[in-house]
Amino acid sequence: MAQSEKRYDVIVIGAGHNGLVSAATLAKLGKRVCVLEKENEIGGMARNYEIADGLQAPRIAHLLYNYNPVVARELGLAEKIDKAPISTIALSDDGRHIEIANGALRYADGAEHPDAAAYAEIRRKIEKFGKLLAPLALRSPPDLSEGLSLAGAGEAAAIAKLGLELKMFGKKDMREFLRIVLSNIYDLALDEMPDGEVAGLLAADAVWGAWAGPRSPGTVFLLMYRYAYGADPSLPKRGAGAVVDAIVDVARSRGVEIRTGAAVSRLNIKNDAVTGVVLEGGSEISAKVVMSSLGAFPSMKMAGPQHYDVETVRRLRNVRAKGMTAKVNLVLRQEPKIGGVSLAQIAGRFVIAPSAKYVERAFSKAKYGEFPGAPVIEFVMPMVSDAAQRGRYLLSAIVQYIPYHLKGGWDDAARDRLTALTIDTLSQYIPELRENIAHVDALSPAFIERETGAPGGHWHHGELSTDQLLTVRPVNGMSRYAFGVRGYYLCGAGAHPGGGVSGAAGRNSALQLLKDGVLS
Amino acid sequence: MTKCDSYDAIVVGAGHNGLTTACYLAKAGLKTLVIEKNEQIGGAAVSTELYDGWIYSNCSYVCSLLRQEIIRDLELPRFGLQVVPFRGGVNLDGKGNYIGAYPDHYVMRREIARHSPIDVDAYDRYYQLVMRQCRFIRPFLLRPAPDPTSMKPRDIGELIYLVKRMYDIGPREVGEMIRFWTMSIGDFLDEFFESEFVKAKFAGSGIIGTGLGVYSPGTAYVLLHHYMGDVDGSLGAWGFARGAMGAISKALGAALEEAGGEIRTDAGLGEFVIRNGKVTGVALENGDEYRAPIVASNMDVKRTILHHVGRDKLPGDYVKAVERFKIRGSSGKLNIALDAMPRFPDLPENGEIFQGDFACNTSLEMLERAYDDWKEGYWSSGPYFDMLIPTKIDPTLAPPGKHMMSVFVQYAPYDLNVGGVRSPNNWTDEKRDAFAECVFDRLSLVCPDIRERVLHAEVRSPADIEREVGLTEGNIFQGELTFDQLLFNRPAPGYAQYNTPIEGLYIVGSSTHPGGGVMAAPGANAAREILRKLGKTTAMPTVADDEF
Ligand SMILES: Cc1cc2nc3c(=O)[nH]c(=O)nc-3n(C[C@H](O)[C@H](O)[C@H](O)COP(=O)(O)OP(=O)(O)OC[C@H]3O[C@@H](n4cnc5c(N)ncnc54)[C@H](O)[C@@H]3O)c2cc1C
Ligand SMILES: Cc1cc2nc3c(=O)[nH]c(=O)nc-3n(C[C@H](O)[C@H](O)[C@H](O)COP(=O)(O)OP(=O)(O)OC[C@H]3O[C@@H](n4cnc5c(N)ncnc54)[C@H](O)[C@@H]3O)c2cc1C
Repeated sequence: MAQSEKRYDVIVIGAGHNGLVSAATLAKLGKRVCVLEKENEIGGMARNYEIADGLQAPRIAHLLYNYNPVVARELGLAEKIDKAPISTIALSDDGRHIEIANGALRYADGAEHPDAAAYAEIRRKIEKFGKLLAPLALRSPPDLSEGLSLAGAGEAAAIAKLGLELKMFGKKDMREFLRIVLSNIYDLALDEMPDGEVAGLLAADAVWGAWAGPRSPGTVFLLMYRYAYGADPSLPKRGAGAVVDAIVDVARSRGVEIRTGAAVSRLNIKNDAVTGVVLEGGSEISAKVVMSSLGAFPSMKMAGPQHYDVETVRRLRNVRAKGMTAKVNLVLRQEPKIGGVSLAQIAGRFVIAPSAKYVERAFSKAKYGEFPGAPVIEFVMPMVSDAAQRGRYLLSAIVQYIPYHLKGGWDDAARDRLTALTIDTLSQYIPELRENIAHVDALSPAFIERETGAPGGHWHHGELSTDQLLTVRPVNGMSRYAFGVRGYYLCGAGAHPGGGVSGAAGRNSALQLLKDGVLS
Repeated sequence: MTKCDSYDAIVVGAGHNGLTTACYLAKAGLKTLVIEKNEQIGGAAVSTELYDGWIYSNCSYVCSLLRQEIIRDLELPRFGLQVVPFRGGVNLDGKGNYIGAYPDHYVMRREIARHSPIDVDAYDRYYQLVMRQCRFIRPFLLRPAPDPTSMKPRDIGELIYLVKRMYDIGPREVGEMIRFWTMSIGDFLDEFFESEFVKAKFAGSGIIGTGLGVYSPGTAYVLLHHYMGDVDGSLGAWGFARGAMGAISKALGAALEEAGGEIRTDAGLGEFVIRNGKVTGVALENGDEYRAPIVASNMDVKRTILHHVGRDKLPGDYVKAVERFKIRGSSGKLNIALDAMPRFPDLPENGEIFQGDFACNTSLEMLERAYDDWKEGYWSSGPYFDMLIPTKIDPTLAPPGKHMMSVFVQYAPYDLNVGGVRSPNNWTDEKRDAFAECVFDRLSLVCPDIRERVLHAEVRSPADIEREVGLTEGNIFQGELTFDQLLFNRPAPGYAQYNTPIEGLYIVGSSTHPGGGVMAAPGANAAREILRKLGKTTAMPTVADDEF
């Protein structure tokens, strides 16, 4: 047997932002924590990388949508991260774009938009309902089996509090909440406005990362999840990677050890309890507790299916994680020009989703494993205002729907098609784009899976649909982070409450394991 | 001269729900009148003559959802109702394979084993889960949907009943319930089965009547909606009403007349007479007026409110809620008189398999693609159909040796897209014929000689169904069965207990909880609400209770 190294209280598999938050949370209480990351870089889906010499780009995630202020406060990140909500431009085919700035919607040229009031009302509702649900993201999901026990009383109280807050809304909003919470964004938007850029934007914001079209029930919930801390995303200076760097600083200052290039191959388990991990090279590290930020199914494989009952294995195998989102980063030689967009507006977020139907049509192709005729795109140009980049410009684009299960598989030719499709679509709004491109990185869902280990390359490591939420996330009976074997915990996006750069899963899992007393 | 008589209660529309409400009211001693615009009673459950000697069901064609409690309360068998269970059913792939459905569980297991040995065990698990969920939900069908925003003791009592039942089935099952109620039927089946063909066989029930695809979340619930009925207590079974579906309406009509109720056909409603926010009667299209302090509408909520009440008499929020109530037509129907039984070269001769429904679902993808066509306003190029040859079960429906075929087809849009313009007026004869050809092409996959057997075929688009029965957009359930339109949201939040903002005006059709199908539950529940208001609590319909 290989030599066992120094003993830790906790090993965290994966240095994505959730793993790091778990580690930092535990280290604050004096636990000895080691984070093991298979890549040479830290940050997982939220990291930056050097796309061309000296030029930093957000590798995958680029904006903060549901960055959790509570987690940030607890970790002391708030001062370290320079972030403010940015405006959104919904691009229009006819060049008359729409801008949402400081919560108000108008044409990009400043004129009033006929759907502004309808948009404002939907946004108000969704933000309000999102805020109502937000506290749920910061606790372990209610465990139904605890019934009337003492521990269960806490849960019952939390639910009762939610119910009470809902009642405080007054009948009208409460009813509206109960009507729309499981419904679809397509109807919600089109009941109030004609189909166009505004409906398209709402549809796109509801479906980022999801294997669902705007007509799919459940998409309104996704929008609530995304808008819980405000509808406008923010772009921190130096991108989402800045958040990771800040968490790393905190973790290290608390004594967390982070090892890169250290891929875990399996868990060591004795008498149904975790004793440590085995690395790919064969070396072993022991610890009382192991936390995994991988998806639920790969985490189960890491422990070995023999430790789970048949029904649980079946459930874990059935966790849906069919990634639909790709990432394309472009390095440009000159500042790109978008017709109808002013210089000041170019620092915002751009969305290509000219109508809700457009979004649905893109999904309609991709659900069969085909490329969409025209994809839905969100892009930012994070460095346009940053003169230090020596005359180079970056365009970071999230492209949807690009199926993980592509017919014919993801070979080089398929990746080239992804690149071409993205550039073609962008070129309709940025006329001289093609000649301006110095370098392209196209990351397919299959590639994202290979690089980060996220099942299906999925945004949330597992579909964030009602049947995989809360008490049934990742699967029925395992929602409270403890993952089947004593001392084994989930801490990543695949667990409650799901993904996005929020840190909630990492924080909750750390608190839950302390409560469970597995370290004492 | 116009008439003006007074009643205790008037029911507008003699669909099976309206008749059910009327029966309970009449039995409780109210002087009750039913008015119906068509010449026959039954709405979407009517038997008529299609062609000399061929009797057929106009819309609905099979029975399972009709609640036993109501059959017993109203003693429907005494008025001629007899439901014969299916003995078979089959899904074909058009390439020589078929998978039969058999009432005997062990025979069914063997049948599935022919396609996938692994799926046999999966079938057991699948079946048990679906049946557990059915047992859970059944009692709620004959109870009012509690209003969660209300503090009334009755609403709180109903909520407590719900929580208690959830507590009883246990946490594990509640988790399964959350999943099952919100999943897509495609994802749900993918979790159980490996064979595409087996999955496709079960998937049909998840989409019947909806504007959703097999991969739309919420369609597993629609499957439940089709499984929660029974035939003589055999859960999930489907059956056939002797004399076609009109037999149900006829039995209800006879029960009503025996209880002293009156029915007036060819009596279309013009408008509800409303004074000071109170209904006082109805005015017919022909000018007749009838007075009653209670008026129950069997029409769907959109038709009732938007066509016959008038927006000016209602609060704006309520009108808005009714306007956005989704009631999307997605299905058409072909009724065909056949001069002989068509050949099914892929099926065993004379099997019991013929005494059930036929489908040609090759895969989930085929079904999902059928939905995609509809979203864009076209009928499916490869449609889903649920076909039945009722004469195989009840030979009296056609002359000796002849047959009758009922083909339910999905998806067909209400507002057909022609050159980018979507409108129900686009359903011209020419389009209707083209639609029929598309269905015949699909049918030919399983019975190649179908076209030669046709004596007469009646083709109905959603627009036709709307015209005849009044079902808005031809939606078979009087409203989509999605969560935003179920339980306390059906048909509108705050008005889910059969009431409306107009005092004395009730809605009793399938637009209300628990929804569509020939179930009679909305009609019975509505009667309970009306009788409760009148203080006639001893005459109320049976409330379903626990059954495990
Ligand atoms: C295309 C795309 C765009 C996105 N854009 C945004 C966005 O703009 N804003 C936003 O908020 N969210 C976005 N998301 C979602 C967000 O990035 C993720 O939900 C979140 O970063 C997940 O964090 P995590 O820590 O849970 O997991 P990850 O970041 O996936 O971390 C898992 C870590 O585990 C490591 N690992 C895997 N296997 C092993 C092993 N065997 N041993 C050791 N280490 C291992 C991986 O290398 C990785 O570092 C996007 C997702 C995608 C796919
Ligand atoms: C093609 C098709 C196939 C179906 N198949 C099945 C099946 O196999 N099994 C099953 O269980 N369900 C089936 N259904 C669903 C089921 O038939 C309906 O949900 C159910 O019959 C509705 O009953 P109801 O009493 O609520 O309303 P309806 O039957 O719609 O009754 C409404 C009544 O109001 C009358 N009316 C409308 N306007 C006026 C007016 N102005 N004045 C007076 N009267 C008026 C109508 O004529 C009608 O009689 C099917 C439906 C369709 C359309």
